[in-house]
Amino acid sequence: MSIKLTTQAYCKMLLHAAKYPHCAVNGLLVAEKQKEKKKDSHSTPILCVDCIPLFHGTLALAPMLEVALTLIDTWCKENKYVIAGYYQANERTKDFRPNQFAEKVGARIAENFSEAAMIMVDSTRFTMGCYEPILTIYDHHENKWKCRDCNADCFEDWCEAQKITSALLEGRSYESLIDFDNHLDDLRNDWTNPEINKSVLHLC
Amino acid sequence: MSFLYCLNPEKHKLRKWREDNHRNSEQIVDVGEELINEHASKLGDDIWIIYEQVMIAALDCSRDDLAWTCLQELKRQFPGSQRVKRLAGMRLEALEKYEDANKQYDSILQDDPTNTAARKRKISILKAQGKSAEAIRELNEYLEQFVGDQEAWHELSELYINEHDYGKAAFCLEELMMTNPHNHLYCEQYAEVKYTQGGLENLELSRKYFAQALKLNNRNMRALFGLYMSASHIAASPKVNATVKKANVKYATWATNQINRAYQLAGRGTKENKCSVKAVEEMLESITMS
Repeated sequence: MSIKLTTQAYCKMLLHAAKYPHCAVNGLLVAEKQKEKKKDSHSTPILCVDCIPLFHGTLALAPMLEVALTLIDTWCKENKYVIAGYYQANERTKDFRPNQFAEKVGARIAENFSEAAMIMVDSTRFTMGCYEPILTIYDHHENKWKCRDCNADCFEDWCEAQKITSALLEGRSYESLIDFDNHLDDLRNDWTNPEINKSVLHLC
Repeated sequence: MSFLYCLNPEKHKLRKWREDNHRNSEQIVDVGEELINEHASKLGDDIWIIYEQVMIAALDCSRDDLAWTCLQELKRQFPGSQRVKRLAGMRLEALEKYEDANKQYDSILQDDPTNTAARKRKISILKAQGKSAEAIRELNEYLEQFVGDQEAWHELSELYINEHDYGKAAFCLEELMMTNPHNHLYCEQYAEVKYTQGGLENLELSRKYFAQALKLNNRNMRALFGLYMSASHIAASPKVNATVKKANVKYATWATNQINRAYQLAGRGTKENKCSVKAVEEMLESITMS
């Protein structure tokens, strides 16, 4: 039932928030598609291997979100991924609770993936050193979103995630992070962020 | 003039960012701090506007030390200036001293009740405190007096969108489109709001405005995608007759081909690009099949 994050997924989420500190940002998390449905599949956590940053600024408009979901869905199918989660960081630092829009998008994702998670970024605890995980994870239970504590267990390797995210923040890698908005501004901008993925691997 | 630019490419950068209203505060601080510290004497009168620009960027980056330095220089050069007073207020806002900031702006407004900058800062404080309803109310009042303030209309449209009040957001964008009929961005944003409102009538309006945005700027990808989305939703609706359906299939198909072309032009055969092209092909198939 629970999701875990890889370093790459966590990293890109935080870089997205760091690139636009004065805006709300949001994005999707993808996991590898499970081949068979094991009987005890709910005991193995779902690993979110990557993160697709979507928009910054005014989030609550439908058309570009639908476009993004359509294109990213195709990309997922090609790479045997499934959209497993949604993240959002609100415009105001002190505002880290999910709003109506986050719940709507989360519910939409949960329609296609029952164990989908909604993740809110807590900007008040956002530091360059990344000493603690700054996420709140919400799971979808009976049409409600239930909050779950986020600690080192929510990561594939928290020490690695902390170290690498901090290094990339110091190196201002967020300046080259591409979100879907950047892609719509110029189609040559690649929202899969291959350069940043390389940097993450490099530091592993 | 060009001689000076050769000497100071940084000065030129700062000017461009000022003119384009970029909020790339970290870069402005990097470039501006060096200019101020190393080359102040060569900047002439431009130094004052640079102090202002760097100060605001420094506030964005929590560099109160740098902001304070800039503010002191400006206070010294322009004692009693309302513009500098406003900057002092912004510094208080950055330190979250909202009561003190409000007092600062109120004192500006006492001397000059038409000072729009101070009024807008007060509204920004409400926004920062999460008091959206109040911010919206104050901004509406402001716009009754200063009906030509485009920045304010745009800010109001965003506040309404965040409250999911799409009807009122659309009204604000209509004001902007009336006064800026050639601005493709306003057309496109209006179309997005109408689309989000939903319902067949709004979808048709959104399609028309996406098309209008494209006419004004045929490279606006959001407008192109929006045209595809709205036209295909209309075509798929059970409420439309065969003629309308046929017309919208035509629009959607045209849009898809244009999107395809745009990706081919942009593509360097990257993996992600191939996926986008594939997604667009699937979009085309799905319309022609229905």
